[in-house]
Amino acid sequence: MKRWTVILVTVGALGAAEITQEKLRQAQSDPATWLMYGKNYLGWRYSELRQINTNTVKQLTPQWIFQSGTLGKLESTPLVYERMMYVTGPTNHAYGLDLATGRQMWHYAKPLPPGVSICCGQVNRGFAALGSKLFKVNLESTLVALDAKTGNLLWETEIDDIKKGYSATAAPLIVKNLVVVGIAGAEYGVRGFIDAYDADTGKRAWRFWTVPGRGEPGGDTWGADAWKRGGGSTWVTGTYDAELNLIYWGTGNPGPDWNGDVRPGDNLYTCSIVALDADTGKLKWHFQMTPHDLHDWDAISDPVLADLTVRGQKVKAVIQANRNGFFYALDRTNGKLLVAKPYTKVTWADGIRPDGRPNLIAGQDPTEEGTKSCPSVGGGHNWQASAYSPQTSWYYFPTTEGCHTYYKTEQEFREGLLYTGSTGTPIPLDPTTGAVQALDPATGETKWKFEMVSPPTSGLLATAGGLIFSGNREGYLMALDARSGKPLWKFRTGGVVIAPPITYLLDGKQFVAVATGDALITFALSVP
Amino acid sequence: MRTVGLFCLAAAALCTAQPAQKNPFANDLRAAEEGRIAFRGSCALCHGIHAEGGRGPDLTLGTYSVGDSDADLYRVIATGAAGTEMPAFAPNFESDDLWRLVTYIRSVAGRGRVAVTGNREAGRQLFWEKGQCGKCHMIDGKGGRLGPDLTSVGRKRSLAYLKESVLDPNADITPGYNTITVVTKDRKTIVGVQRGFDDFSAQLMDSAENFYSYEKSEVASMKREFRSLMPASYRGLFGEKELSDLLAYLASLRGVREGGK
Repeated sequence: MKRWTVILVTVGALGAAEITQEKLRQAQSDPATWLMYGKNYLGWRYSELRQINTNTVKQLTPQWIFQSGTLGKLESTPLVYERMMYVTGPTNHAYGLDLATGRQMWHYAKPLPPGVSICCGQVNRGFAALGSKLFKVNLESTLVALDAKTGNLLWETEIDDIKKGYSATAAPLIVKNLVVVGIAGAEYGVRGFIDAYDADTGKRAWRFWTVPGRGEPGGDTWGADAWKRGGGSTWVTGTYDAELNLIYWGTGNPGPDWNGDVRPGDNLYTCSIVALDADTGKLKWHFQMTPHDLHDWDAISDPVLADLTVRGQKVKAVIQANRNGFFYALDRTNGKLLVAKPYTKVTWADGIRPDGRPNLIAGQDPTEEGTKSCPSVGGGHNWQASAYSPQTSWYYFPTTEGCHTYYKTEQEFREGLLYTGSTGTPIPLDPTTGAVQALDPATGETKWKFEMVSPPTSGLLATAGGLIFSGNREGYLMALDARSGKPLWKFRTGGVVIAPPITYLLDGKQFVAVATGDALITFALSVP
Repeated sequence: MRTVGLFCLAAAALCTAQPAQKNPFANDLRAAEEGRIAFRGSCALCHGIHAEGGRGPDLTLGTYSVGDSDADLYRVIATGAAGTEMPAFAPNFESDDLWRLVTYIRSVAGRGRVAVTGNREAGRQLFWEKGQCGKCHMIDGKGGRLGPDLTSVGRKRSLAYLKESVLDPNADITPGYNTITVVTKDRKTIVGVQRGFDDFSAQLMDSAENFYSYEKSEVASMKREFRSLMPASYRGLFGEKELSDLLAYLASLRGVREGGK
């Protein structure tokens, strides 16, 4: 009898409790877990945990390392609850790990079918969780539901056709009983969208096309039929305001990237943040950062939701350091511009007008022979996860500093093949560098910059311990002082850190975990 | 290379790098133009926007170290060139796209051919004696270690690039050969070529071929400069005839000979 009890307790302890919609709404109040991509619906990546702080961080040491054995690189935000860690890998791999030891409890893998077009790595950025299910996208543009205890497939739904150039890499977002997903493929002339699927059945509930068709509002911003291959992919997870019942999502570049001649007009709703009704997917408002983009400046980075005091007025804002080099704060109830300010070297516009349109500077467009323009193709701030700390009221994000040469070429569209209209290339002997920046989102003023020799690869984590965690290209995980940017701790992981770090509690002890190279490492304070 | 080989095992269908035989687009001008577009996106960084070379070989010469048939070019684009910086493009392109690239490369062949006019043997002597180039460069296992190994430089770099590198070493720096300067807290200065450089540390090799590794927090300063440690004095040292002999020697360096030396 006694033995029975022990077994029941042990087995039951792993992955027992279900993730409810209520738990997801209250995710911020449970610092022991990490239940969704951005930690909470607002996309803060901020934890209330403070055992690891500016004083103790020096004692941070590795606890266990999980070697995935895959050939690609991990860029997943792991989920943590009920003594389990769930992490997705590249090329349709995923793992359920024992949180205490890092031992693999299950492994999901699906062979990649032929014909998947992936511009930028066979990556995946993580799971979403609801009930006893985990949800992830596969590269071949499908959405799968897995059983959290076994990794077994429960259902799989095709999002769209890979022959058209669609692929999928972003972590889904659970809103009520819907699994909201974005897609990739704007380098292949896809027509972008955001989808929502029923979590129980995998049946599609709604689709919002990020590129409107002819005759629809915004459809007249594309010339004749360029909207059919207009890009506007949605390859980074959005955020959700439960009170307003609005989903916020960034959209990618128009297609073809560097040749705008074939798509005269603003090219709505590419390079924009869109606010959608969570139940219907209907557009509530949009804000386009880069009308008629010619530099591949997707507006995809996390649309972080923060309540700010701007010029004395309290306002519900959505904030984003955009790839085009400007930081934006918008009123998230209506999409009106509150703040726009450059955070890095910008040569294409000398400011943003009150209506949100950039004041363009001549001579910055791509040409056959090449045009130098700043920032570089990746921005600015690209997709790498940002963080918002209510402790400092500052917004933190990694940036690439520098410029590229932008080329343009005429290009005929062929379905499923690269459709970029040329490229942006590094400038010889003037390579781009990197930084982690802290910025006051109420003013757009940069508070500090931690300069890095290489452009950033990793996202960020903010904690109540007064710390900002970041990785870098050379394989360091580091902790910076959230108020000064001073480095306080570092560890060389041996693999490029592309994923953002997370933090959680196990048996009352704070851990930091990060996927790096093809492995995942956890850290905790060593016993003094 | 490793990645692609194993990709093939994991997902055979991904690999368009099947043994390819005949170019379906040979001399097709439209395919060449499509290839040019793809080239600008994926190849121009190393081979130049007009395929005239740079870090990668000049492709307008019309001769290639990997073999001169269309199938040879297809193979090297698909799977990369072992022992060089040329990566595999099979994961990024469909088979027909690779053929279009081959067709484009064919269309520019011969456009930029520069004849090697110098005397290779005279160049060899200049390299090892008057130029003392072997103090820093290794060829076939002989020479110094500070600069890049030149054993196969003739197939990696165009003649124009080699000439520029001799006359103006700072015009372009081979990745990993930047100059690192560390000043220690006791005011000692160590200068060498970069082996590693990041936000917290530097690893370098000095002219005496000693390795050093420093933590940023333990030194007075460390910096990286995008300049070469190679002297800029060769422009004055060699006459025009000598320079063309030296280049003839460098252009003849095609790799380690089979069966050793």
